[in-house]
Amino acid sequence: MIKSGWMTALAVSLGALAAPAFAQEKPASLGVGVLTFTSGPAAAYGMPGKNAAELMIDEINAKGGIGGVPLKATYVDEAQGTQGVIAEYRRLADDKTNQVMIAALSSANCLALAPLAEQLQAPTIGWNCDTHQLLLDGKSRYYFRPNGNTIPEFVAYALYLLQQKPDVKRIAIVNPDYAFGHDAALIFKTAMKALKPDVEVVAELFPKLGSANFQTEISKLSASRPDVVFSNLWGADLENFVRQAQPRGLFSSSQVVLALGETVLQRVALPEGVIVGVLGDGWWMSPDARANPETKSFVEAYQKRYGEYPVFPSVKMANAIVYMKAAYEAALKKNGGKWPSRDELADAMRGSTVKTLTGTTVTRKDNDGLVDQIVGVTQKSADYKFPVIGGMVRYKGDALMPPQGEDAIKWVGALTPAFLAAQPKPGSYK
Amino acid sequence: MLDTLIPLAVDGLASAALIFFVAVGLTLVFSVLRVLNVAHGSFYSIGAYVAASVGLWIASAGLNPWLSFPALIFSAAIVAALFGPLVESCLMRWTYGKSEAIQILVTFGLFLILEDLQRIVFGVSSLAEDTPMLLLGSTQIGGVVYLNYQLLLIALAVVVVVGLRVLLTKTRIGRLVTAVVADREMAQSIGINTNRVFILSFSLGVFLAALGGALATPTAGAAPGLGAETMVLAFAVAAIGGLGQIEGAALAAIIVGLARVLAIYFAPSLDAVAPYIVMLVVLLIRPYGLFGQAPTRRI
Repeated sequence: MIKSGWMTALAVSLGALAAPAFAQEKPASLGVGVLTFTSGPAAAYGMPGKNAAELMIDEINAKGGIGGVPLKATYVDEAQGTQGVIAEYRRLADDKTNQVMIAALSSANCLALAPLAEQLQAPTIGWNCDTHQLLLDGKSRYYFRPNGNTIPEFVAYALYLLQQKPDVKRIAIVNPDYAFGHDAALIFKTAMKALKPDVEVVAELFPKLGSANFQTEISKLSASRPDVVFSNLWGADLENFVRQAQPRGLFSSSQVVLALGETVLQRVALPEGVIVGVLGDGWWMSPDARANPETKSFVEAYQKRYGEYPVFPSVKMANAIVYMKAAYEAALKKNGGKWPSRDELADAMRGSTVKTLTGTTVTRKDNDGLVDQIVGVTQKSADYKFPVIGGMVRYKGDALMPPQGEDAIKWVGALTPAFLAAQPKPGSYK
Repeated sequence: MLDTLIPLAVDGLASAALIFFVAVGLTLVFSVLRVLNVAHGSFYSIGAYVAASVGLWIASAGLNPWLSFPALIFSAAIVAALFGPLVESCLMRWTYGKSEAIQILVTFGLFLILEDLQRIVFGVSSLAEDTPMLLLGSTQIGGVVYLNYQLLLIALAVVVVVGLRVLLTKTRIGRLVTAVVADREMAQSIGINTNRVFILSFSLGVFLAALGGALATPTAGAAPGLGAETMVLAFAVAAIGGLGQIEGAALAAIIVGLARVLAIYFAPSLDAVAPYIVMLVVLLIRPYGLFGQAPTRRI
């Protein structure tokens, strides 16, 4: 055991010496690999992210770059599948002119890239890697997830729902048929049963990702007479579900919870009273966002350039770039102005507290981020043609996050009604 | 009991109607051209995008909203007129008589080109115009609210089955098509302009696919990836019915529609695979599909 410990220490020391750990001369440009979906059905979510990245990078460059070095982004389409994404990531991360990667959107791709980031010693920011199955071993050195994970995201909906409707009993779930949909269903169900043990799941449907027609699912949901319909459908799937379910009365017969509802507010006519959120704190119109002049400027520029307001995937990407910039600035400062190595950049990310466009992200020692969760209900707005989020609550990120190293689902299952009572109430975030 | 069966039947038929439009076009093109057109699903999605664009234009121009109904058929006709003759004469014609592998590779290439073309023209966001669906309102059947538009789709599918049968058996052009299907060389030798028949048949197939997309738009919109999704299901339906069989496609669409509905109601985890389980079972028992027949050997 002792021998093995010495051997490990020796190997780590030699590895550290071999790694490009020394501060370098300032490069002509700072290469950034950005991975997102720019084609296929997932582009409805991925393109707002790419738009935000382009805008943020242009704005940073217009102000002289980071430490005087302009950013140069290479965009990779995740729609090519995980094998292609791995090959592209490897190509970019192997190229030393690309010093930081912002990857990825798909949780499956994030899970595949995390070990590669360690192998290639490439600081990587998972801008939309929500799955709680990422970073489980707590040993990641180069892979960071500053935007939070599925546990606080979906526990927040259970809390809000029970605070709004304490008498709910019959819940139905309609989520996309892949890891994100099944994880969300498990977390939401576990939280609901822990916080209110008498709830009953009356229907659980997992339509194929990319489905255009939900009419049969809507019939099944209607026939099950649920008090609540929870869904984390997204993109065109979510738009179609809303478009088909609303005229069939599902929104009036049940309380609907749309976890990614904010992304379609500007595109489909959601009725009032639907519980929606932003899987984090990335709501461009939240009180914190409105009080931040940088956010105001980002929103105005985004609207002017793309003809619509940023949705939360845009804000998640923008916050990932803010996070990267903050890490570079911290590393430069620590280095006395000398350009940091990849290792020094990763060190600057670990344990950092960064003020983002919409709040603060704290990076734990396991590289997982703590961000607050904003949830509310759709409300008509006098200022906008589309509904906005009202009755908001802002749950503290650390309160909803399982402690490092603990089994996340067990932690959710151990939540109590007292935990619910201690949380801030809907409407308290103004 | 009836309260459960009626919603099952309505959902199954409504689901079948949408699949039928695209599958029958595929099967028609195969029966005349003897080419399995992998790009057929792209015409479905182009039809959806064009119909949504025309519908949005009608709404923005403040025209009578009931115009959105003929606009759906008009959109499909535009797509057929634009792509039918062009694709048949410039591309498909060069694949006739070639091996199936070449035909599939060529049409798959066309599919990829058309998918990118849609992305360039219509962008990556979804497009939707639901006026026709909202104009018709809803009806309660067996305690479940249904859109009257769904019921209209069922009626339209019946009209298309009957219309195609009448076209093929009671009109001159239909008889010409039947003659080409029966024996291409013989039809040519007695003076039938087979090139014209090919163009007309292919354009009709494109029209049916585009009509399916256009009719789906009011409820499902148009979005990237729609073509591939539709194509796979259309292949399954056409194979179950028997390639080249119109009534077979109709019956297969109903079977697949009902199979999907039964899966969603009673075994949700089988929803996505239900059509393919049906296909597997049918093809194991009847390798040429429900209405298909083994080709006769010509001496």
